[in-house]
Amino acid sequence: MGEIILKNINKTFGNTKVLEDLNLKINDGEFAVLVGASGCGKTTLLRIIAGIGPATSGELFIDGEEVSDLAPGKRNIAMVFQNYAIYPNMTVKGNIEFGLKNNHVPKAERERLIAEVAESVGLTEYLKRKPNALSGGQRQRVALARAMVKNPKVFLMDEPLSNLDAKLRVAMRSELIELHNKLKTTFVYVTHDQVEAMSMADTIILMNKGVIQQQASPEVIYDDPNNVFTAQFIGTPSMNILPLKNGSFVGYRPEKVGLTPEETEAFYKVRGRIITREMLGSETLYKVQIISGEHQNETVMVKSLDSGFQEGQDAWVQVALKHLYFFDGKEQRIREADRAEDYGACVRCLKGEEA
Amino acid sequence: MARLTRKQKRAVKRAAGNTVNLIFKLFVSVLFLFPFYWMVTTSFKPYLETLKFPPTLWPQDFTFEGYVHVFQELDILSYIKNTLIVTGTVIVIQFFVNVPAAYAFAKWKFKGQGLMWGIVMTGFMIPGQLTFMTVYFMFADWGILKTLWPQIIPTCASAFSIFLLRQNFKQIPEELVESAKLDGSSEWKILWRLMVPMSKATMVTTILFSFINHWNAYFWPLVMTRDEDLKPITLAIERLKNLEQGLNYTDIMAGNVILVLPLVILFLLASKKIIQAMAYRGMK
Repeated sequence: MGEIILKNINKTFGNTKVLEDLNLKINDGEFAVLVGASGCGKTTLLRIIAGIGPATSGELFIDGEEVSDLAPGKRNIAMVFQNYAIYPNMTVKGNIEFGLKNNHVPKAERERLIAEVAESVGLTEYLKRKPNALSGGQRQRVALARAMVKNPKVFLMDEPLSNLDAKLRVAMRSELIELHNKLKTTFVYVTHDQVEAMSMADTIILMNKGVIQQQASPEVIYDDPNNVFTAQFIGTPSMNILPLKNGSFVGYRPEKVGLTPEETEAFYKVRGRIITREMLGSETLYKVQIISGEHQNETVMVKSLDSGFQEGQDAWVQVALKHLYFFDGKEQRIREADRAEDYGACVRCLKGEEA
Repeated sequence: MARLTRKQKRAVKRAAGNTVNLIFKLFVSVLFLFPFYWMVTTSFKPYLETLKFPPTLWPQDFTFEGYVHVFQELDILSYIKNTLIVTGTVIVIQFFVNVPAAYAFAKWKFKGQGLMWGIVMTGFMIPGQLTFMTVYFMFADWGILKTLWPQIIPTCASAFSIFLLRQNFKQIPEELVESAKLDGSSEWKILWRLMVPMSKATMVTTILFSFINHWNAYFWPLVMTRDEDLKPITLAIERLKNLEQGLNYTDIMAGNVILVLPLVILFLLASKKIIQAMAYRGMK
């Protein structure tokens, strides 16, 4: 089916190395989301898979077959572009039909496929329209229909929702998840929006500066990040990261902090003063300045169900040990399971037992 | 006297501005239209009236004799035929040369692209008057001087059209080309099924410019043809000057009206497309 394997992929633009020795495996039928800030190489990677921006070196396998030298049209993939890339000179039907015609699908078969796919995305009554007479959401559907009608092994999507308004984006998000469940085809989806990534992906592939930081399910990537970058990229607001005296870092998520007027028995606790308060509805977001201990004057974000704290008020910021993350000087995660000694050192350092 | 309110002052200012604007536009229009008007009215005046001083602005004796003379004294249809063959052939060949060239310059990256583009643009700037001698000798060597080809071959590619089309193709988003490639299209298909239909306005404009250039061609056919049966209509109109003693303005102007009439009609039909092609179009 649609398993994708990339081996030792390099990509350079002039003298700039965008991807270096990248290895990646995307399982068949998986909804994989490539996420990262602009310029991290995620679109470059997608274009390599599509064949429209070939790698400088390396191998690409789709479904076990080496396809690096295969023309984009012969890879049995479909791509949805950010700006939809609908052919403006053709009708909706013409757009959907174009790929089929190129692949010499007989006319009767074409008609049947078009009717079927138009029905499934709700475009039947618009088939004779030109794209300029369609709304943004409808154009998006045309782009999807054009991809679906080819029945590809792999769907590639390059920020397909970023041109839609917020409401439509959320609606289309769940439609895409439904579509994936229905088709059971491999989806590779590029976005810079971590919320989109978290909500849609089976697997998130988080990239930074051309390097894959972590590839894991949304749960794992949120609960068990590999490094500071991942920890801070996923989650809003991002994880609080504070330096320790031994050169490592401690981190905790704003939503895992207990904010209380009184001191409790938590492992990590510091005094803080509320600087700003943002009421989000069910939760309240506080910016807190630490006023005691080693991290004095640092600010941290706290997300709390308790909306009762006011600006200027003092409170205790408290986190349980299981919600603390430690990272070494290279910003890599120190897990208790595989680096027990370093982990212990960090814990002691935080407790002030050891400098 | 009652003082004007600020609102009234603004209205007066605006009206004055509009009037100046209108007068200027009228002036420029008259400046451009008058020669044309003069040509048309003179073609309907009797010979003697064209010599009158002060000249008459409108024919006092309306006559068609100029047109009758043109058709009687010249085998005008044969000249028109030559012009049509040359113009038509050039337009067809140019289409198949200019469009792929412009596409390659706009969407491909290849070695020596900058240099080649430079050469094309230089070709754009060199006037025919500089090259006609060598080209003439070359055609003489090839033995094709007694055909219409010397009027056709040198203009098989048009740097101006390539330039215009390239700019237009460059405005078409790269994703459309990529999407078509993913749809299994060959470059050839992308060019003819997507690029060309999406650039209709520019296509029409380049064809129209080519048409005008070749319909009006004077210098090049003048040096490239000796035989009467190869000459285009422009040279025939020129001959009207020498047919009778003195200049018969009625005949000359009638000939010129016949010459420019197709161009005027074409321009009126295509003016919308021309304006479209020249204006920058953002594509969504």
